[in-house]
Amino acid sequence: MIKKLPHPVPPTAAPAAPEFLEIRNLSVQAGSRAILQDISLSVAAHQVFGVVGPSGAGKSTLLRALNRLLDLQTGFRVSGSVILHGEDIYRKDVDADQLRTRIGMLFQQPVIFPLSIHANVLFGIRHHRRLRRSDAAELVEKMLRRVTLWEELKDRLHSSARQLSLGQQQRLCLARTLAVDPEILLMDEPTSALDARSTEAIEALMLDLKRTRTIILVTHDLAQARRVTDWLACLCPENGEGRLLESACCDAFFSSSACQKVFDRLDGGS
Amino acid sequence: MRRWLDRAFLVGTGGCAVLALTVLLGILAAVVWRGAGAVSWEFLTDGMRQVGASGGIFYNVIGTGILLATALLVSAPLAVGLALTLGVYVRNSRRRNRLVMMLYLLNGVPSILIGLFGFVIFGVLLGWGKSWLAGGILLGFMILPTVAVALFERIQALPANTTEAAAGLGLSESQIIWSVILPQSLSGWLSGSLLGLARAAGETAPIMFTATIFAGATWPQGIRESPVLSLPYHIFVLAQDSFDPAASVRVWGAALILLFLVFSLSLLALPLRLRLHEESRHD
Repeated sequence: MIKKLPHPVPPTAAPAAPEFLEIRNLSVQAGSRAILQDISLSVAAHQVFGVVGPSGAGKSTLLRALNRLLDLQTGFRVSGSVILHGEDIYRKDVDADQLRTRIGMLFQQPVIFPLSIHANVLFGIRHHRRLRRSDAAELVEKMLRRVTLWEELKDRLHSSARQLSLGQQQRLCLARTLAVDPEILLMDEPTSALDARSTEAIEALMLDLKRTRTIILVTHDLAQARRVTDWLACLCPENGEGRLLESACCDAFFSSSACQKVFDRLDGGS
Repeated sequence: MRRWLDRAFLVGTGGCAVLALTVLLGILAAVVWRGAGAVSWEFLTDGMRQVGASGGIFYNVIGTGILLATALLVSAPLAVGLALTLGVYVRNSRRRNRLVMMLYLLNGVPSILIGLFGFVIFGVLLGWGKSWLAGGILLGFMILPTVAVALFERIQALPANTTEAAAGLGLSESQIIWSVILPQSLSGWLSGSLLGLARAAGETAPIMFTATIFAGATWPQGIRESPVLSLPYHIFVLAQDSFDPAASVRVWGAALILLFLVFSLSLLALPLRLRLHEESRHD
């Protein structure tokens, strides 16, 4: 149990690429309870930015604040700002639906719509753009190739997506998100429900995808964080409120003393 | 002593189940026993003749069908609107409970009052006289609570992550409603509608002043003064006023057809309801 935690340490090294996502003094309240307290982070483009911390630290809430999914749930109040390309996404005139096409999300449990594989890939994009039949087929192939599912699934594109294994479903969800072409991908423990092989496939995809996109990955698996992230932030609950303990590049992060107790807790727990 | 109590309890509860089943089987047996002789191809395809002593019930079945189809069409958009209001738009649970409470109150309004109310509105104020449309609208309002609550329950049973995933893809609220919520709760609407219609099919009170007559109507020609025949009113009038034994056999025949219609609607709804429970358990 952690009793007293040192104050958040400022980033120890400058990020490699210029920052394009800035989180400033972000706090989230649910009713009278604070879930996140005063989080400030900067995320550079084209990297995997990891967020670790024990459960209850508000990691998922942080992700949901970044694409304004929290707006859809009752009782949450967000303060502070999230600046993307110099613009606060919480400004009144920002269209939250449109914002979510630029900041996509992959959830812990794959959510498959009761439709065919083909229709699942197109589920998001066909609400934003009119697709000709040939373009649609092309896009489905491209996206399934992107997530290395094409060879496995090309002969049964029109059968139900619910028959797929959990690992395949998660990759299908990723294909569906990528079809909308977001510049940022939020991933909320995307491999915690998957077996080792599927986890490996998703991790390989993350490393590949960061060439064109930025990924913010919530995980409680430190080994995974070590394998795929470039920069890490550690959240920890203090009196029930999630606070930022440390934000540093991956190597510096693991030698940070501030997070040591959290690491012990995570290693014990996972 | 405890074993004795256990056994008494078992006998008591079993007895209640048997009693309920006996009543059901008794009604079924009586109706089949007396009505089966009257049912024939001609009975189903002929209009009524000689005040019900000969001919068939073709236009009564058609009339009841028209009333039920109208009720379905009237209730559908209202039920969808209500269920979405309850399941999507009203997020305050106290307000939501109040709305559900009002639906149950509507469900509890005696059908004879709905008939009288409809008569005043449609028959007198709008000057429709007796009209199939008035009857259909009233039956639609009668089944509205059943349909709306069934659909609302289905919407509530939808896993939250489904709508969250759709929102995460940038879908707007109305897009989520059209392509996630409504398609995935269709079975709730269908089972609610079938159960509601099964009840509405046998109702006499809401339509007797507003929509149906005993004899002399075929297909509706318009809206004003355009009544239809119907099965329950046919049974009601003949059972009350006819002393002709030939007519009496035909009343049981009509009752058998009505019972068949109602049972079919209920039985069709059953697998849908079971599937609904299955799904909400698995998701």
